[in-house]
Amino acid sequence: MKKLLLASIITVLLSNIAMAATQTIKANVNGMVCAFCAQGIEKKMRALSQTKDVYVNLKQRIVAVELKEGQTLSNDTVKDLIKDAGYEVTSIEMSEHPVLQIKAEMEAK
Amino acid sequence: MLFNQLITPAMCLLLLASQYATAGPMGFKDSFMVMGDFNNNWRESFINYAITPRDAFGVSVTYMRSDDKTKTRTLEEVTYTRLLHRWNLPNSQANLWFVGGIGALQGEDEHVGKDDNFSKTMFTPGVQFDYETTRIYFAATHRFYRASDINHDFTSVRAGFSFYETEYDKTQPWFVLEARNMNSLSDKIEITPMLRLINKSFFVEAGVNNSRQPRFNFMYIF
Repeated sequence: MKKLLLASIITVLLSNIAMAATQTIKANVNGMVCAFCAQGIEKKMRALSQTKDVYVNLKQRIVAVELKEGQTLSNDTVKDLIKDAGYEVTSIEMSEHPVLQIKAEMEAK
Repeated sequence: MLFNQLITPAMCLLLLASQYATAGPMGFKDSFMVMGDFNNNWRESFINYAITPRDAFGVSVTYMRSDDKTKTRTLEEVTYTRLLHRWNLPNSQANLWFVGGIGALQGEDEHVGKDDNFSKTMFTPGVQFDYETTRIYFAATHRFYRASDINHDFTSVRAGFSFYETEYDKTQPWFVLEARNMNSLSDKIEITPMLRLINKSFFVEAGVNNSRQPRFNFMYIF
């Protein structure tokens, strides 16, 4: 019983540590209305060595970039890449949620 | 690497053999865009490479034929595309483009008794304005197709709507209606209702014009 309790506590702690390590950049992007045209954003983000996953939501105008563990990416780099793809970043925020969770939340709206 | 990127998929599509069917006549920086526009009297294939977010260079081959089939033209040209201005708005985007080219025109005019063959240098400067949201689309294009004693100016207006919104990675169906005219090749305005399918990796349109001729367009960015 004690072993089971200890294993559960360790699992929860490790899970929380993993969650805390997740860093996702969420950028609000103006002009992003067409998937065919916005694919440049996804391609440029995925090409970065720091990137683990990318999610684009046209309706909410959001680009979310999940970083690999221990990696960082400056806001300016994100803005420049999106500008190169032809769009304009209006704001950037950090999230501790992985892209899959952000995607699930947005698609549930 | 660059050679492989250019040759492998793009040239295959070019062999299949566009006025620019979607919002933009070029892709994002460092990307290739391949386009094709085919019907009985106008067949165009086009590829360009975006060297900056606003500038692209490319090559194009266009076959033009008059409604009565007495005039045929083939144009091979090098092209330059420039995004003159872009308006990135919260729920929409509008663009003003310059598209121009210079190339070799080969033509044949059939006359009773003898045919007239010629080769000339053709210039094709033009502008396009487009406006798009996730649900509606509008574009107006005018492009000069000029050589000495030749005027085949092209004018096109397109408008459409999407049947419903989709997620980024899903295919979105649109209805698009186009009116266009090619000067000195056709006296009438060609009207074509088309079904458009857009996915993040492809863009295709198909329809039948008011002369009951089929029409097919595609675009691909890589």
